[in-house]
Amino acid sequence: MSRIEVRGLTVAYNGRPVLEEVDLTVGPGEMVAVIGPNGAGKTTLLRAIAGTVRARAGEVLVEGRPIPDLARRDAARLLAMVPQDPVIPRGMTAFEYVLLGRTPHIGYWGAETAGDHLRAGEALERLGASSFADRLMERLSGGERQRIVLARALAQDAGALLLDEPTTGLDIGHQQTVLGLVDGLRRERGIAVLGAFHDLTLAGQYSDRMVLLVEGRVEAEGPPHRVLQPATLARFSGARVVVLEGPGGEPLVVPVRDQTADEMSRPSP
Amino acid sequence: MSRKAIVAAALAATLMAASCSEGAAEAPTPSGTASFPRDVAGVTVPQRPERVVSASATHTEIIYALGAGDRVVATDLFSNYPAEAGTTPKIDAFNINVEAVASFDPDLVILAFDPGDVAPGLASLGIPTIVFFVPATLEDAYGEMTTVGEALGLEDEAARLVAQIRQDIEEIVSGVPPGEGDPPTYYHELGTDLYTVTSGTFIGTVYALLGLRNIADEADAGGFGYPQLSPEFILAADPDFIFLADTVCCGESALTVSGRPGWRELSAVREGRVIELDDDIASRWGPRIVEFLETVGSAVYPTVP
Amino acid sequence: MTAAFRLRPSALLGALAFLMAAVMAGLLVGPVALPPGKVLAEVASRLPFLSFDSGLDARQAAIVWEIRLPRVLLGALVGAGLAVSGAAYQGVFRNPLADPYLLGVAAGAGLGATMVIVSGGATAAIPVAAFLGGLVAAAAAYALGSLGGGPRSGATLILAGVAVAAFFTAAQTFLQQKHAETVRQVFAWILGRLSTSGWSEVAILTPYVAVGVTVILMHRRLLDVLSVGEEEAGTLGVDPTRVRMAVVAAATLTTAAAVAMSGLIGFVGIIVPHTVRLLVGVSYRAILPLSVVAGAAFLVLADLTARTVLSPAEIPIGVVTAFLGAPFFALVLRTSKRGVW
Repeated sequence: MSRIEVRGLTVAYNGRPVLEEVDLTVGPGEMVAVIGPNGAGKTTLLRAIAGTVRARAGEVLVEGRPIPDLARRDAARLLAMVPQDPVIPRGMTAFEYVLLGRTPHIGYWGAETAGDHLRAGEALERLGASSFADRLMERLSGGERQRIVLARALAQDAGALLLDEPTTGLDIGHQQTVLGLVDGLRRERGIAVLGAFHDLTLAGQYSDRMVLLVEGRVEAEGPPHRVLQPATLARFSGARVVVLEGPGGEPLVVPVRDQTADEMSRPSP
Repeated sequence: MSRKAIVAAALAATLMAASCSEGAAEAPTPSGTASFPRDVAGVTVPQRPERVVSASATHTEIIYALGAGDRVVATDLFSNYPAEAGTTPKIDAFNINVEAVASFDPDLVILAFDPGDVAPGLASLGIPTIVFFVPATLEDAYGEMTTVGEALGLEDEAARLVAQIRQDIEEIVSGVPPGEGDPPTYYHELGTDLYTVTSGTFIGTVYALLGLRNIADEADAGGFGYPQLSPEFILAADPDFIFLADTVCCGESALTVSGRPGWRELSAVREGRVIELDDDIASRWGPRIVEFLETVGSAVYPTVP
Repeated sequence: MTAAFRLRPSALLGALAFLMAAVMAGLLVGPVALPPGKVLAEVASRLPFLSFDSGLDARQAAIVWEIRLPRVLLGALVGAGLAVSGAAYQGVFRNPLADPYLLGVAAGAGLGATMVIVSGGATAAIPVAAFLGGLVAAAAAYALGSLGGGPRSGATLILAGVAVAAFFTAAQTFLQQKHAETVRQVFAWILGRLSTSGWSEVAILTPYVAVGVTVILMHRRLLDVLSVGEEEAGTLGVDPTRVRMAVVAAATLTTAAAVAMSGLIGFVGIIVPHTVRLLVGVSYRAILPLSVVAGAAFLVLADLTARTVLSPAEIPIGVVTAFLGAPFFALVLRTSKRGVW
């Protein structure tokens, strides 16, 4: 059963605490969004779950197995990560890049099989990217590239998926496409998805639950309409917002300009 | 050139040079064995030196041969002959420290190599310093022995030494039988990396006295004098004699040479004509040059007493 | 779906043909002119079950079989080892200027050789000391780069290698200075040479190069995975540290052995992999095997140049590769700007 469980996760860099006692759970087929101000520790949280950053304390279990204790290969078969700034190797086609996702299934000395090629092709197909499979990675647009990175994660055939700001740098259309694809995937395959977002509305639209992370601590948790409260958001990010209701009842976070406050904060002549 | 012709040419050159240098030696030196100050090779020696520092192994040998060994206060690390020279305090000839030399309070310093600032440095301290160079011919070597004698106030002893050496060498050379056909060829090895000498070097001219032809001459296009040969070249040239001057520095011997890839096909290796020399004797130009000639001569012409 | 990330058979065949041509040239050309047909006949006559008279006399036959052939083979082994080690280092450190001497192997080997030479030790001890010195230096660089518990990144290791190399070079210079009479010998060794080699050197070097090349080639797919960086490779299930250690160990062993046998021959580890890269792209599945073959051919030809240009004198082979290497660096920098790297 694909499931992510994090208990008491604590990470410190040079003695400075970055994450403190973080608990969260993502069930099979669930999409949980982590939000919070910059520097809150969202990326660190994802890295600590993936195992690329060592935690000082706490547990991370995926499908009931403790990630830090597993060999890399075994962990990679349970958990896939789409980084915020993926490294784009030169001279590599999109197909070859997606094929890299099969690495956890290939032995140390082994090579890709026809089966691996098939799975990579299927991942590209599912993400509607087959048409540019033979193009070089460095020649793709931002939106196309993001789909390829996602395809690679999909090709890993892992039950859990971590997304670090998957919509950065994309225009609205592509943002919706990518998130739509993720949404479809998690429902079809029961993948547990944990994503870090800076766009509150988008995060609220696509996630089942949200976790508000501020200075390394979980300050709020629950369904989007409960976490996306103006008072909560104002307290933790100093933002002035109103939360409206969208056509489907989903919360829409809208920034509000307070001209009086602006005038008051201007230096007096 | 035939062997006989080489010997004749070498002897003629020797005699001609001898007559020239004798004339040159007479002019500047004042008569008498004890008149100081004097000018020796352009250096003013104010009084008879009693504290000599020699940073040249060859000239150390010459000084001791002249009987002035008791006046030596320090030598360089390579001055190992005679045995007493080996026990004197040592300086490093390649990294000469002017102060270190001066600390011996010398009144004469002899160098065979000056990186450029040692001699002037010593001169500024009022220490007479003579810098010698590798001689081109035997005559030049005799000239250096004479100069050393002059510097020490031992001209008569030097003249006797040179005369003795000349006589010994002439005895050896005169024993060279006139040969028909091509002169014997040789290869003189300076190191395991196959560096050698041509006949234009000092040691090369000495070999020529015995009528030997050097295989390396055609390998030295630049006239540098110390070319490096390749195993192929040596195999093709197939020298009649191989002289090893790297037995001490590099542990080479007839045995190690025969073990080199391909070398056992050389006629010199097959027929036991690989001669091991003492590195020092083969590289200095002091009185032991006679021993060198004896060793080479008896190897090349074994039937001659 | 295409996969440019593989080795095209045509490329491999081309490289092998190049190597064959180089070996031929190495056998047929030398300071001593020998009829080509007889040279080939001589080699053929040594093959098992064949025995006939090639028409060369004993000394000429010795030139071909005892001197030229082992020298060509040694050149091929050293060239292959250095080239593939260079390519492996570039793959592991993701740096186009990484070469097999990165972790101080050259400096360590130089110090080992110098120590034997200045102490008047046996010539046979020089390769052993060079080998050990190279390994000690690499181990020191690895240990130094892993200190501090911080992220053990490639960049840290490179810097540690620079520090170790500087230290060992300083030690070597100090020794040389104190024993200035051996400078010529040390220098000769440093500039690299293949000329006094025979079958015994070939026999000694072969297992090291064979093992090292095999281990490196077995990691070619993993080096391609490392092209997405260490962190992402980790999430893809590859332990970059483990791969790095294995590849670095194999490359260091091969390099140390090559240096011990033939002195310091520079630039091979840069020129060959980069040229191969320009021709066949960035996948290590192509670059590594082709570097083995092309490296062998390159060094055989460089050695041929070294021994024929000023024949019968020889240019140290390190000088030949350096002459080719300096302009080559300029070329690499220009193509790097164009994004080929």
